[in-house]
Amino acid sequence: MMQYGMYIDQNRCTGCFACVVACKDWHDVPAGPANWISIKTTEKGRYPNLFVAFLPTTCYHCITPACVLACPVEAVTKRAEDGIVTVDQDACLGKTDCGQCLEACSYDAPQFEAGEDAKMQKCDLCIDRWAEGKKPVCVMACPMQALDAGPLDELKEKRGGARETEGFTYDETLAPSILYKPKKNPYNP
Amino acid sequence: MTEKHPDYKDKIVHTVCNSHCGGTCDFKVHVREGKIIRIESVPEENGRPSMCLRGHAYRQRVYSPDRLLHPQKRTGPRGSGEFTRISWDEALDTIADEMKRIKTVYGNASLLHFCSMCDPHLLHHVLAFHSLLCSFGGYTAPWGYISCEAYAFAKGVTFGKSSKLRYSGHTPEEYLESRLIIMWGWNPATTEMGSNMSLSLARAREKGARIIAVDPRHTDSAAAFSDEWIPIKPGTDAAVMLAMVYVIIKENLQDQHFIDRYTAGFDKFKDYVLGLEDGVAKTPQWAEAIGGVQAATIADLARDYACEKSAILGSSFGPGRSAFGEEYHRVAAALEAITGKVKREQYAPTVKDFGLLPPFPFPPNKVEEGAPPRWNAVPSRGPSVNSSARVNVSSLTDAILKGKAGGYPADYKFMWLSNNNYLNQLGNINKAIEAFNKLEFILVTEQFMTATARFADIVLPVCTFLERWDIMPAMDVFSTKRSDFTILNKAIEPLGESKSQLEICQALALKLGIAGYPDQTDEELVRQMVAIASETKKSKSEEASKKEASISQEPQLRTPSGKIELSSGIAEKMNHPQIPAVPKYIETWESLNDPLADKYPLQLITPHFKRRAHSQFDNLPWLRELQVQAISINSRDAEARGIQADDMVRVFNDRGEVRIPARVTERIMPGVVAVPQGGWYSPDENGIDYGGSANVLTSNVISPGGSFVSNTALVQIEKVGK
Ligand code: SF4
Ligand code: SF4
Ligand code: SF4
Repeated sequence: MMQYGMYIDQNRCTGCFACVVACKDWHDVPAGPANWISIKTTEKGRYPNLFVAFLPTTCYHCITPACVLACPVEAVTKRAEDGIVTVDQDACLGKTDCGQCLEACSYDAPQFEAGEDAKMQKCDLCIDRWAEGKKPVCVMACPMQALDAGPLDELKEKRGGARETEGFTYDETLAPSILYKPKKNPYNP
Repeated sequence: MTEKHPDYKDKIVHTVCNSHCGGTCDFKVHVREGKIIRIESVPEENGRPSMCLRGHAYRQRVYSPDRLLHPQKRTGPRGSGEFTRISWDEALDTIADEMKRIKTVYGNASLLHFCSMCDPHLLHHVLAFHSLLCSFGGYTAPWGYISCEAYAFAKGVTFGKSSKLRYSGHTPEEYLESRLIIMWGWNPATTEMGSNMSLSLARAREKGARIIAVDPRHTDSAAAFSDEWIPIKPGTDAAVMLAMVYVIIKENLQDQHFIDRYTAGFDKFKDYVLGLEDGVAKTPQWAEAIGGVQAATIADLARDYACEKSAILGSSFGPGRSAFGEEYHRVAAALEAITGKVKREQYAPTVKDFGLLPPFPFPPNKVEEGAPPRWNAVPSRGPSVNSSARVNVSSLTDAILKGKAGGYPADYKFMWLSNNNYLNQLGNINKAIEAFNKLEFILVTEQFMTATARFADIVLPVCTFLERWDIMPAMDVFSTKRSDFTILNKAIEPLGESKSQLEICQALALKLGIAGYPDQTDEELVRQMVAIASETKKSKSEEASKKEASISQEPQLRTPSGKIELSSGIAEKMNHPQIPAVPKYIETWESLNDPLADKYPLQLITPHFKRRAHSQFDNLPWLRELQVQAISINSRDAEARGIQADDMVRVFNDRGEVRIPARVTERIMPGVVAVPQGGWYSPDENGIDYGGSANVLTSNVISPGGSFVSNTALVQIEKVGK
């Protein structure tokens, strides 16, 4: 089965948020709690010996997606052709009445706007853009060219990459489709 | 210029972001049925910049519910924000009547017009206003850059000219070739300026360059790029750099060949550094006591910098925005010169003008006629900028308050502010309010009801750059790979009744009875400019290449000696104790040795913020949710005050008080606090600001060379209830 995923060079990321806002603009996600991509900042050490790393976090379109298994109404599905995990908002029962996907996901990837009847939404790896032959908007927006996306085995071949990095732990059960060039923390190598 | 996208029925309009970061990033604007539906970036190529978060949020700016779409007339007291909608006709009649009245009663010099400087476009900018106001008999114009006057001054006295006006004076390509990069007060991950500098730094690091950050803050650039962070007290940069010079001279690491051949005044400078002039040797120990950087660290840095041929001192404008910031830039220039690291072609006179001037009439500004140059004029800045009839931009409010009695060239009665938010962005807001209240009439042309606009008598709604045509010249600021000019295509029609700056000037010209002001549309004018530019380009570039060839043969700079001046003839002539002939460390006012430090023991700096370009973009929801406007304070200083993360604190000094949350962090030097500049001033009835507007706390005194001093201020912090 074909599996699409992302590659992140954490050494490149400056925490600039270009990807975050580009995603909101492209997918018309209003300001608020729903973020398909966010930046996680890790700060370690005491003045003046510091280690700081930024990391974009999204849905990882897991090989074994917990959200798909958890959803009682099959609103979340994994596409056979590219392994992208998508959500059918019309079918979704909403966060207040259900929220099982969020509960199940180790990475808090399912997103909900504020309000009682908010339906699940999340990163869909820009399915609409692949259809036009373009990579996801975060990848193209990143001024640092820290991101890449595509078939996972191709990415692995082209870029190599590790399964874990500062701020991310690989969940064996889910098997997230993500590769990293990790940023090394000199204080806990 | 526009193309149909294959899949959508959308129009894609290409333009260049016009925000005041100076970013000039390419925009691909998707327009559907006359509405912008999204804005896409153009990935980096040849060092051209790629859009930042603010560019990606621009759609929210265009369609913000806060956009001013109709002319507004003030109905309540100044600052109250009480306005009523009026017609364009009424607005323009009122403005024209006031301008005529004030001109007749007080003379043209009493009319102030300040426009932002260096926005990357030509037509809807300062020249449009300048032409109109000169045709009206003249006005008082500003001189000086808020961002980088210290830099311009220092380069002018040292090299006879500004170098390419980059934050660090170097091109992205140069960084790629460097093995040692010192980011001195420089945070390119946050302060983009017309090239993709951050990407170059990352690539340089991947190629093995060592990067060192010298900064009171552990910036995001320090986090992303640096191998080492050297914290330094604000205002002491010149001292630490002088100690580097000391080590270099003592250990004989200077490039004597370069010094002998291309510089003048080395011996005099050396005498000062070694202490022969004033009895104080500028040793690393001396600098450690001043700047808080360990002597051994300074000495190592000096050796590494001097011995690595490809080393780059990336000295930013930020440390220059302090008292005697000129000296910091001058010492930095000297450090580069004595180690032979100055690329002389950067300073050689060039001809870059391809005749890209808007076809406005430019009668002389009568207010400046016959006025001698200012005492601190630097010849390379040109006669108008040097005119003593002008007011330093950062002294605007002081000039209004004091007028002739305070030594300013005139008493000021009328002010027109365009493309800026100067109440918010100049020092000491409470003084600025006093000043604004003293004026008889204030006109503000704006997109939003900013702090400044709230003090206007009339606010005219200006459209965004996506709603008009413009053109951007090839400026030194931008990457060498830019073409001669870039057209800023109009994407949509102006919203509501908003008008472009040009249309406003055209309408006022009619009301003021000014003949000869161009009446073409912006699109027609842009086309005309392109046609003229293409014609003159060829002859000019032939001339330029001839000139450049002759320069490389005979390297003469426009300084009195024709060389890089380590002892400046221009500075010496100014004959001012705080503008010495050789670059020196001069202790700032409001330093920690100031008696005021008993009351206000923390040094405030006011850096840039990712989600704003100065005060622009502060109101956009997509951006506001990303970063909290907070004061950064070291955990030790916080602990001593019983302050915990996110506690509400009062930050205050004799000039005012701001209440914002505390960001307790390890990423700032103890004794230093930082409020990102540009938060929108939002006072309560007691004048306490809750918008986090840093300039409530800064002063409106300028440095002798004309620099804004936004990083020289002492404050105290106390916890207030949650
Ligand atoms: S990251 Fe979470 S939301 Fe995304 S596929 Fe895996 S389990 Fe589902
Ligand atoms: S919230 Fe919606 S998508 Fe998530 S598990 Fe429930 S029904 Fe499925
Ligand atoms: S755009 Fe790139 S550098 Fe910026 S936060 Fe996203 S991943 Fe990091």
